[in-house]
Amino acid sequence: MEQIALALFICLILAIVSKSLSFPPIPFYILAGVLLGNSGLKIIGESEVFHFFSQLGLIFLLFYIGLELKPERLMGRGSVFMTSGLIDLNVNMLIGFFAALAIGFSYYEAFVVTSAFYISSSAMVIASLIENKKLILPEAETVVWLMIFEDIVLVFLIFVISAETQHPFILMLKVIAVVCLLFAIVKVVKRPLLKLLQRDDELPVILTFSAVLFAAFISRYLNIPEVLTVIALGSALSTTNPRAFERISRPFKDVFLVLFFFFFGISIDFSGNLSLMQALIISFVAILSKLFSGFLVGRIVHRTNSAGIEIGANTIARGEFSIAIAAIYGSEIVSATVTAMVILTSIVGSFMAKYSSKLKARFD
Amino acid sequence: MGIKSVELPGIGTKYELETEKGDKIAIVFMDSERIQLYILEKGSETPTATELNAWEARRIGSILTGAIIEAEREAVEIAFSALSDLRISIHTYIIGKNLAGKSIRELAIRRKTGVSIIAVSRKGKNVINPPPSFSFEEGDVVVAIGEHNQLKTFESEILGI
Repeated sequence: MEQIALALFICLILAIVSKSLSFPPIPFYILAGVLLGNSGLKIIGESEVFHFFSQLGLIFLLFYIGLELKPERLMGRGSVFMTSGLIDLNVNMLIGFFAALAIGFSYYEAFVVTSAFYISSSAMVIASLIENKKLILPEAETVVWLMIFEDIVLVFLIFVISAETQHPFILMLKVIAVVCLLFAIVKVVKRPLLKLLQRDDELPVILTFSAVLFAAFISRYLNIPEVLTVIALGSALSTTNPRAFERISRPFKDVFLVLFFFFFGISIDFSGNLSLMQALIISFVAILSKLFSGFLVGRIVHRTNSAGIEIGANTIARGEFSIAIAAIYGSEIVSATVTAMVILTSIVGSFMAKYSSKLKARFD
Repeated sequence: MGIKSVELPGIGTKYELETEKGDKIAIVFMDSERIQLYILEKGSETPTATELNAWEARRIGSILTGAIIEAEREAVEIAFSALSDLRISIHTYIIGKNLAGKSIRELAIRRKTGVSIIAVSRKGKNVINPPPSFSFEEGDVVVAIGEHNQLKTFESEILGI
């Protein structure tokens, strides 16, 4: 109990400091965990309750992402959405995979690292677009939709990574069955659900919390990744009143996610075989790779170099999703690598996003 | 030069307008209920921008539409663009001891001052359009409507302030 209170309190102070410097707080939460946990002072250790709370953080994050993935909203997107998404996917997966193999990871580990390498941090990217007042630019729109594309790909990546441990076909059948079931249930109970959401007592909150936990429970029972079920639940519920669900689940997401990052930091062991050099190389490649893919997207979609620099600079930061992938699938060394990558790319990304106009002026 | 609306998932909705002279204006309603207002001058690369809260945005909006609302502590003054000489004020007052127990009819508010009482809030409950027989209690918050000098008369003749 006191450990969780202490962890949250430290994170609160870090968030105040980082936000006053207009810096993303996520790397600081992880760093605090690293410094106070196993690899550091060993003041705060892993515990059952802490682990459960951090799991909730991950689950609510993905539920929240699911709420943005409203099926008909995605169907209506044009070719720009597909083009930019596919460029981003192909460039970063290829570069990431070869970079990970080159520094000595096995194929499976390299794929996990690459998935974390590919996926930018929606939270940081969106916060920096707002903070740096870039929303008028057409590139901002491309970047925001790129984040949505990446979220969808995340679902497939998790599917592929978890297919390592069980037969992909059976896994696929189970996932499809659960997704269809969730959408069907939501369709049937849509009316009473909408009515319930309008109440101003505790019922909407209880409903949301228990639905999310229940989805996680079903996945444990069926041995499919919780992450997938929870995203699917969010996506199914986005057909009702996503704003209400977002409003309700946000406090859970905010608090538990901080614990998730902190806990992840605690559990990292830097004493393993990871050399600092490897971590630096992959982080450096991660920055260049996003600059390159962003530049291509800008050239092809907006037809200017400056749009390319803008998109590249704004998508460098890796964050919550990379950590999530490492937390679920990463070995010690993969987790340590991803942590280093998240910390470095988010710091560099935050600077690049802020000073992208200077960068553009230099290249014009 | 129509207005284009663009959905930005995770952020909100953006409305874009290109003016006749080619400047670009964008307004972003964010899910956080804050509003960003951008102006990108023609030929310029970097926009100027500001972030507004809902109240500031409404104020700017009403100025742009021509209905000027001037907030004066607990009062608003409304002017209509089509009726330039009509300026109506709405003011709130708190009833003191001196008026407790007196009714609207007894005080002859409208006859003496021209002001109408359009609503009374008593301990959190609202009475809209109170009848002449309505009697005040100490602590009632009344909403009065009238022209500026009518309200001044109301303040001095009736409320005694």
